[in-house]
Amino acid sequence: MSTTNTTWRTPTVILVVGCVILTLSMGVRHTAGLFLQPMTADHGWSRETFSFAIAIQNLVWGLASPFAGALADRHGAGRTVLGAAVLYVVGLVLMSQAGSPLSFDLSAGVLIGLGLSGTTFAVIMGVIGRHTTPQKRSLALGIASAGGSFGQFAVLPVGQMLISTYGWQSALVLLACGVGLIAPLAYAMADGHKVVSGAGQSVAEALREAGGERSFHYLFWSFFVCGFQTAFIMLHLPSYLVDSGLTANVGMTAVALIGLFNIFGSFIFGWGGGRYSKKNLLVLIYALRAVAILIFMLLPMSTATAWIFAAVMGLLWLGTVPLTNGLVAQIFGLRYMSMLTGVVFLGHQLGSFLGAWLGGRIFDETGSYLLAWGLSIGLSVLAAICSWPIDEKPLARHAGATV
Amino acid sequence: MKAQWRWFLTGVAAALAVLLLAVIFMAYQMPELLLDWANIRYCG
Repeated sequence: MSTTNTTWRTPTVILVVGCVILTLSMGVRHTAGLFLQPMTADHGWSRETFSFAIAIQNLVWGLASPFAGALADRHGAGRTVLGAAVLYVVGLVLMSQAGSPLSFDLSAGVLIGLGLSGTTFAVIMGVIGRHTTPQKRSLALGIASAGGSFGQFAVLPVGQMLISTYGWQSALVLLACGVGLIAPLAYAMADGHKVVSGAGQSVAEALREAGGERSFHYLFWSFFVCGFQTAFIMLHLPSYLVDSGLTANVGMTAVALIGLFNIFGSFIFGWGGGRYSKKNLLVLIYALRAVAILIFMLLPMSTATAWIFAAVMGLLWLGTVPLTNGLVAQIFGLRYMSMLTGVVFLGHQLGSFLGAWLGGRIFDETGSYLLAWGLSIGLSVLAAICSWPIDEKPLARHAGATV
Repeated sequence: MKAQWRWFLTGVAAALAVLLLAVIFMAYQMPELLLDWANIRYCG
């Protein structure tokens, strides 16, 4: 593996710390929905008020990711992670004190969104990518994705337990303390402006270069589909199951199964990306998602089909992250990996926004999710087609350089 | 470290990880999480 600027900051340390940061950051963010019921009840707000702030959070997270990535690439990931962690903590504390929709939008929406942009995939994956060899990079990114997936799976029940035991305001402050642990961990992410190939390139040049490559656009739009599907399914699957005559408990177990199998899926596809063609694996994921949804639609609804579908989708959930980020590093090099993965992640978040919103809109208009499921299948096929022509070869600029 | 100890410790770590995942999975059956559909509708 590549050498680091200090002896203790080994690739293993960076990977483990990166996993912990992703677990905390992704996990705490995943509990947001748990606060809807108690906060709206206490403040007398509508659910739309709450969900609007979460929608802002998702968009700010996506929009700020390229900038957070550029900051990390230019001024070091350690400072970026530290600054974002502070914003995240302040956002959570102010969210607990928010008395008006505006202050709630600014804290839960803007501040936490900014915090997420600097403490999640774009920045953390960049550091991990820079400190691993090309042979082990995909596996390392897969392990990091599994860390984020574990956070999403594990922190949700912890958040509910905190709300039930201490009340929602104290729970938010306690979760802020958890996120505060990221601040000292940021020190391990300070990679000392590690010199990599493409060091002479400016931010604008890197963006122009990526924008001129078809493969970058294919990655952006396939990740858009990933965001669309995951947001739509996570938000609307439980309601769909209840509408189909199953109990709420089945819906919750389906959500848990997605979270559980997501951990294994992230790891498996990360490992696979180091051995097989990454873009072929992306094609496989999107094609399998389309097949899985189609079979789910055709089979008679039962508890077994719901749980098997959830497990299969969980396996295919965030496996796209190490593959997509790994392809960005492989094609464009490591110098601006955080910024470029941030741009691609923006596509993911735009897809998430549309998937969450359009799913509800289609249901309101037609009284059924059928059209939304059909759209999800169609987009999945398009993403598979989009991923097929991705040229995995490194750009000529850094083809011979050590990354 | 001897090979048999490495295997033993790896096995213990794997067993503990499986146990942890099982406990977390069971925690999803908490009745509080089922109180209101809205609680999980915005977790994506």
